[in-house]
Amino acid sequence: MATDLPLVLPGETIDATLIPSSQKHPLRLGPGLRHIPPSDIVPTAAGQLITNPVKNSMWIEYNSNRYTPSQGDIILAQILRSTGDFYLCTLSPHTAPATLPHLAFESATKKTRPVLQPGQLVASTGKADGLGPIGVSPGSPGGCVFDVSLGFARRLLMARSREEGGVGVLEMLGGEEGGGLAFETAVGRNGRVWVGSESARTVVVVGRALQETDRGGLGMEGQRRLVKKLVRDMR
Amino acid sequence: MTATTAPEAALGVLPRADGSAKYSHAGYTVTASVSGPIEAQRRDEHAYEAHVDVVVRPAAGVGGTRERHLESILQSTLAQIILIKNFPRSLIQIVLQVEDSPENDYVNTKLVQASLNFAIMPALIQTAVLALLSAGVPMRATLTATAVAMAHRDGAKKTIVDPTPRDIETAQSVHVFAFTSRDELLLAESEGDFTVEEWDDVCETAKKVCCHSAPAKEGMAMVLDDEDVGGPDMRQFLRSTMKSKVDADLHWK
Repeated sequence: MATDLPLVLPGETIDATLIPSSQKHPLRLGPGLRHIPPSDIVPTAAGQLITNPVKNSMWIEYNSNRYTPSQGDIILAQILRSTGDFYLCTLSPHTAPATLPHLAFESATKKTRPVLQPGQLVASTGKADGLGPIGVSPGSPGGCVFDVSLGFARRLLMARSREEGGVGVLEMLGGEEGGGLAFETAVGRNGRVWVGSESARTVVVVGRALQETDRGGLGMEGQRRLVKKLVRDMR
Repeated sequence: MTATTAPEAALGVLPRADGSAKYSHAGYTVTASVSGPIEAQRRDEHAYEAHVDVVVRPAAGVGGTRERHLESILQSTLAQIILIKNFPRSLIQIVLQVEDSPENDYVNTKLVQASLNFAIMPALIQTAVLALLSAGVPMRATLTATAVAMAHRDGAKKTIVDPTPRDIETAQSVHVFAFTSRDELLLAESEGDFTVEEWDDVCETAKKVCCHSAPAKEGMAMVLDDEDVGGPDMRQFLRSTMKSKVDADLHWK
């Protein structure tokens, strides 16, 4: 359950004792906080204040639906079209397209640039570095993109998502409860999850399991029940 | 005498919007949706800041000049608290649908169209702020708003918080105030006959309703204060609404 760190609303003053102070590293501010020089740190979103004294960082943990690009995030972008030097891609609906240079992919040169078709999915970092197209290499399974909330995408991306993030659906679907479904996933911080599998049924079941876990706010037990139900209905 | 009911709110009622809220208080029910930051139309684009677009839809019929006027007031108020400089060339759209109001909307109100509907403004502002918080749009501060009417009853002056349509008809003057979470006055709209002293009184009453923070409400002082103000504690309400939303979002922690 939620720890004792406080709820903050935009514009509230943060108790000075909560701000981590370490001599080793400079203080790092994460999402939901802004620095008003000289020394005010003010929240800009409603959420729980999280501090990390080891890394000397602090941020606001909250859930939302609209992705705001920031540097270093791994995202799933969909190619809209290609211009001379860039691909224009969408990160979330109704936002202006983002540019991804042709040469931003690994080992791409002027002569050998990746050829991506409109509608294709690429993984990318927020610094406009292309990490490569998804689900197009020969022999790779077909798939589908599912939208989840940003908080849920972050939980899926945690290194130990089962223990820290409380998401066990994917492990359950591939494990005992799901009868060992075979699928692969790619998660982007912009709230998009790509699910690929040889069988279209598996793709739909995995996608639905993810979306229902997100929307219903299911705990571990709820997720187990959901997985069992979905897999039973699939057969 | 107005039966002051406690405000009620639900967040995230519209699943496909970025943020949404449903709020009801003093006979008004308003649902708001927030989309943004999204791509702005060329003509709405500002080079250095986001365009805040407010749409007010009445409970019955289509909006007219009254709604346009409300929209322009809300637009300038909300643009002050949203960090619009963070999102240049984009659009933050706030749609407010009035669902229920104590007046009869089916009665032709064309004759009084020039006047502003004061009683609905706090509900619109409060709903918009809740929806913005639910969408996680970066904001400078939160807002709390209230309407206060000043009436002469039995030869004595009387301030009425959250007046009913009947109160407004008989009132000498009506005022709407919005305060930021740092106790700064952000919006003051007044109508009717009043002196500077009366305005000061009304402003003080509104400030008590809007800026009453929870820690001060302990012991005997609180009981007396509450009787004084005769309105709900808006800031505490905002906080508890957001607390339940954040707790639900972070249930996995």
